Amino acid sequence: MFRAMLLKEFLLLLRDRHALAALFIMPSIFILIMSLALKDTLGSDRVLSSYAVVDQDNTAQSGRLQSFLRDNSALQVHEVIITNAAQQQQALNGALHFVLSIPQGFAQNLGKEQDGPSLLQLTVASDVKPEVLAFFQAELTKGIMRLRLEKMQAELAPFLPDVAQRLEAMDFAGDGLVAVHFNGMKANEQPTSTQQSVPSWIVFGMFFVIIPMSTVFINERKQNTLMRMSAMNISVPVLFAGKIAPYMVINQIQVWLMIVVGIFVVPLFGGDALTLGHSITGLFMVSLGLSLAAIGTSVLIAVMAGTVEQATTIGGIINILLGAIGGIMVPKFYMPQAMQDFANVSPMSWGLEGFLDIFLRGLGVEAVIMESLALTGFGAGLLLVAGMVFSSKMKRGA
Amino acid sequence: MITIKNLVKHYDNHVALNHIDLSVGKGIVLGLLGPNGAGKTTLVSILNGLVDFQEGEIEIFGMPLNRELHAIRKRSSFIPQSLALYDNLTVLENLRFFAGIQKISGNDLHHNIDYALTVNRLYPLRDQKAATLSGGQKRRLNIAIGLLNNPELLYFDEPTAGIDPESRNAILETVRSFKNDGKTVVYTSHYMPEIENICDDVAIIDHGRIICQGSLETMLQGEKGDSVLVELLHASKAQLSELADNHKGVEVIDAATLMTHHLSAREMGALLTALEAEHIALKQIRYGTTNLESLFLRLTSQGSCDV
Repeated sequence: MFRAMLLKEFLLLLRDRHALAALFIMPSIFILIMSLALKDTLGSDRVLSSYAVVDQDNTAQSGRLQSFLRDNSALQVHEVIITNAAQQQQALNGALHFVLSIPQGFAQNLGKEQDGPSLLQLTVASDVKPEVLAFFQAELTKGIMRLRLEKMQAELAPFLPDVAQRLEAMDFAGDGLVAVHFNGMKANEQPTSTQQSVPSWIVFGMFFVIIPMSTVFINERKQNTLMRMSAMNISVPVLFAGKIAPYMVINQIQVWLMIVVGIFVVPLFGGDALTLGHSITGLFMVSLGLSLAAIGTSVLIAVMAGTVEQATTIGGIINILLGAIGGIMVPKFYMPQAMQDFANVSPMSWGLEGFLDIFLRGLGVEAVIMESLALTGFGAGLLLVAGMVFSSKMKRGA
Repeated sequence: MITIKNLVKHYDNHVALNHIDLSVGKGIVLGLLGPNGAGKTTLVSILNGLVDFQEGEIEIFGMPLNRELHAIRKRSSFIPQSLALYDNLTVLENLRFFAGIQKISGNDLHHNIDYALTVNRLYPLRDQKAATLSGGQKRRLNIAIGLLNNPELLYFDEPTAGIDPESRNAILETVRSFKNDGKTVVYTSHYMPEIENICDDVAIIDHGRIICQGSLETMLQGEKGDSVLVELLHASKAQLSELADNHKGVEVIDAATLMTHHLSAREMGALLTALEAEHIALKQIRYGTTNLESLFLRLTSQGSCDV
């Protein structure tokens, strides 16, 4: 019986190009686009800000300061001639985030006590994020500190040559000063946009079963094939099981197709390859839980909706809302704390956290037990409600 | 084969079936006639265990429906009015699917599918998608699916609605073949000639009540008597009702038809004179009510059976 139901669902799906596009092609394209679009956001060589320098000091020290800034790949210098306030304003309305003015007397004032005017003047574009400003300020402060140390070193050299030598040998800005290790990842590994994007779009794509599944279900109800199956001694639990099993298989195909896209296709376009994490069992647990949650949502919508149009509209809206709330569209770490807390109401968020545990944090089965159970419970609950509503409607002849 | 006693079904405040009593013998083709909304589909749905009922007892194959539903369903089949099949599957895939969910396998599977295809003349179309079939061919596929479990009892819910005469004839022939095979059939339809053509017994249902049940032959014989149908041109129902009130044995069938019962030549002459006085032109006068349609119209308008 299950074989017949499985075969029927697969044949119907394979012959429905729109459903195939919604289930397999669209999420794969999402993964490709989002992995590439966010590539620089999570990469260590990403340009965070762009700036121009107006050097009115023109000394070796002001040149050294500019050299320090140029050494940082996150900062991009623009060669712009700025001689008046209007040019400066125009530059900041365009691509530039900052205009750094090094006033005359900068080198002279480096070693003096800071009780007069500031050493540097920074004009900031109005749309610069606070964290970018803080980063740029820190880079400038670091540069000034290095210049001051160099100045001290030069002044000490004649009197304390050993100290001056030790100071010269010290590294003040190198990458070796702080060793970075990402939790759950191997040494020298870091999170990539692919590791962040693939879990999100797998979750989103899995919930897209709502549309083809509810379409088939409502058509079956409208054309009385469900009623006919009922008259052939197919009970509601068996009927639902006949829907759940094929779509769980379809969800698994989706998951692995998207993983394959992450591993093999994204790198072809210059993105980072997806790595699988260490727990295939955990991956199955989360994906099966998610599958049940998505199928439960689909069946309940199909049972409640009167027409295919209603189901696809409601299904699409629910999918997008759950995705927006659950951190699929906008990663949760970009959200304020209140929104991050609110995200936990979305089952997509549970699934996403489970996948991130596996893909990004390198965790195993223990870490995803709660998420998997919550998703399974959510899906089972919705299926139970759908079963009760469906049975009642059938018996009433509605 | 089927015994229904005192069956009551209501949807909230609407009474769909009102104390129905009905029996259908083995090997009988019963025509279930009734206007739209009379309760035919509800009755058939109840007999298939698809819809609950509030009161009454139903026995099929000598087994109570509420306790032996599964066993009863294995021996019966419901062919719904709508095309309960999958447009995106081929004829053969549809049959295999519905056979599969009934756990029909092995030799039975091949044999029953062959039988369903052959009886419904679908063999040449077996690899064609249902979506590409004509309306009549789809109806035949709808029936073929109902034959997969080799049922002893078949319920047809208006199987010929909206199809071409050729397909209708094919379906009627199929139903006749079931009768020859000794199968019992409950056949609901709007088309009186179909019922006359294939049914042994008829039950007329109106407003949730069986208003007449019996063998078709007896019903039509009872109708013949001395009845005369007077068909008119340019009349109104109000005019005819007034005439019927003034003439004994005259009954209004519709706005253009009167039926007379046991009128003498003098009484008939008086009626025709009255029609002439009202300037109502005669279209045709014919002897007796020899078709089911006029019987049906008369019974549903008067609400009870006196044949």
